[in-house]
Amino acid sequence: MIAVNGVTKAYQDGAVRRQVLRGVDLEVARGSTAAIVGPSGSGKSTLLNILGALDTPDAGSVRVDGVDLTASRPSALAGFRNRSLGFVFQFHQLLPDFTALENVMMPGRIAGRPTSSLSALALALLDQVGLADRAGAFPQQLSGGERQRIAICRALVLEPAVLLADEPTGNLDSRSGEQVLELLDTLRRRRDTTMLLVTHNPAVANRCRKVLRLDGGRLTALGA
Amino acid sequence: MGFVWHIAVRYFRSTRADAHIRALSTLTAGGLAVGTAALVLALAALAGFQNLLLEDLTRHTPALQIEFGGGSAGEGAAATESLRDLAELAAATNGVAGVQELLYARGWLADEDRPFAVEVLGYEKTPPPWIPVPGEAISGLIVPVSAALRMGLAVGDTVRVVSPRPGLTPVGPQPRTRMLPVDLIYRSGRAEEADDPVLVPLEQASALFAGGDRRLDLTLAPGADPEEIGDFLRRGIDPAVATVTTWREANRALLFVLRLEKGLVFSAVALIVAVASFALLAALSMVLSSKRAEVGVLAAMGAPPARLQRVFLLLGALLSVGGASLGGAAGAGLAAFLDRYRVISTPSDVYVVDYVPFLVRGTDVLVVLVVTVLFTAAAAVIGARKASLLHPVEAMRSART
Repeated sequence: MIAVNGVTKAYQDGAVRRQVLRGVDLEVARGSTAAIVGPSGSGKSTLLNILGALDTPDAGSVRVDGVDLTASRPSALAGFRNRSLGFVFQFHQLLPDFTALENVMMPGRIAGRPTSSLSALALALLDQVGLADRAGAFPQQLSGGERQRIAICRALVLEPAVLLADEPTGNLDSRSGEQVLELLDTLRRRRDTTMLLVTHNPAVANRCRKVLRLDGGRLTALGA
Repeated sequence: MGFVWHIAVRYFRSTRADAHIRALSTLTAGGLAVGTAALVLALAALAGFQNLLLEDLTRHTPALQIEFGGGSAGEGAAATESLRDLAELAAATNGVAGVQELLYARGWLADEDRPFAVEVLGYEKTPPPWIPVPGEAISGLIVPVSAALRMGLAVGDTVRVVSPRPGLTPVGPQPRTRMLPVDLIYRSGRAEEADDPVLVPLEQASALFAGGDRRLDLTLAPGADPEEIGDFLRRGIDPAVATVTTWREANRALLFVLRLEKGLVFSAVALIVAVASFALLAALSMVLSSKRAEVGVLAAMGAPPARLQRVFLLLGALLSVGGASLGGAAGAGLAAFLDRYRVISTPSDVYVVDYVPFLVRGTDVLVVLVVTVLFTAAAAVIGARKASLLHPVEAMRSART
């Protein structure tokens, strides 16, 4: 499902070239879960962005859901992101001008799905996370935990093959964080979605089948 | 509603929320409204004046004229192509409704005290249409009011017409003169009334001013094309003898100045629209700056750059279409009002009319709208291109910084 081989990535930081990833290899099977942990600035988000077709590696190959991301054109990658990937970000990244329901429907709107069926699907998802009555609320009217639950609904509305989560509980208190993780796991299981999450919280990481540590640009398995 | 409309309309509504963006978008709409209104109004005023001018011009200029070079027809090389032949050729041409022979000369009107220099126009059948005199040819003189006032002439007086061309008599060369009665006094209504000619029947004028300039004025049938008939006549006339001129050719310099005037006024006033377009670009840039992270999220969710670009193009259109439409309608409405009620007056002794006429032409409004669309589209394309070039990761990161 996710197959990464020899991926390297460096950034130019002023006059210094920072090597962030140094030959990263990774495999995550369909329906499985994996967590990447590591200190801040270790390149966790960079790796996640590469897996999410939001960034390109300097070298190596990346295959996600059967698509070679390093050989695809940008327009094809946009379609791939919409069709096959779901993103959950640390700061929820909901669109403030749109209601909770509209936010959940947004990937479907980008895909050109009919509004009526999409609306029903999004409402069903909001109902599953206990926010059906908040469908008409704007993000600024919701709590942090509610926003993150809506972000999860948005990520899953098109039933993507892969869910990528970047510090999904990093901005929440422990109780809300626990609720969000439970929800993420429940919804993922129902759809047999592959999940890869990035966190620096060992407790969050330990909920995944596979835990990898990224340090010094290299990925090492901590447990499986 | 598709994705592009959905996002653009919502972003358009959100421009009301931010004070800076609201100010800029209001400035954009207001600037475009003022610019298009000013353009429509300026073009309507120009069209109004030019329309009157052209109407006056067509009244005073024949649709086609045939002028004889170097003196009277029938002399020298023109022997085979006499004036009468040309008049017959012109009269037989399809689309020509009438042919009038005219003679132009300079001479004097003399009373007992002194002579007064005048332009003399010899006419064949009826006075030309720009001389407001009814009826058939008159045997006497038709005198402009300016000359009549200078000489103290009244209808029924007799005055001596003097030609500069002397006639040979037994006592030597003597000026050719003829005593003729004043049958009519006219007022042409032109600004240059002092140059109005004294009209003399052609027979008398030919006898006095044999060397005057001869011309054939052609009246065309309704719908006939002067250019087409002119080309046809040119093929049958030796250019060394006579030249065929359409009313457009005869007034080429004036028509060029009118076009130039319109172009310059349009360019100057269009600067308002250009400035408003810069405001649109600024407004779009501010919207993009405030929505940077959201655009990154949309890109991350799979919105292709081309569709994000269309979102901002549409947003640019939404920000500008209201102002431009309002301005266009206001300009056209105001022009119609000013023309109908003749609100702006002008000194009638300076201009041909005593008010500022406005004429709203559909083509002018269309040109204004097209120019406005081009300016705003250019601004919107620049703004929209910025949106399409945003890197999703960088854009989303901006939300946290």
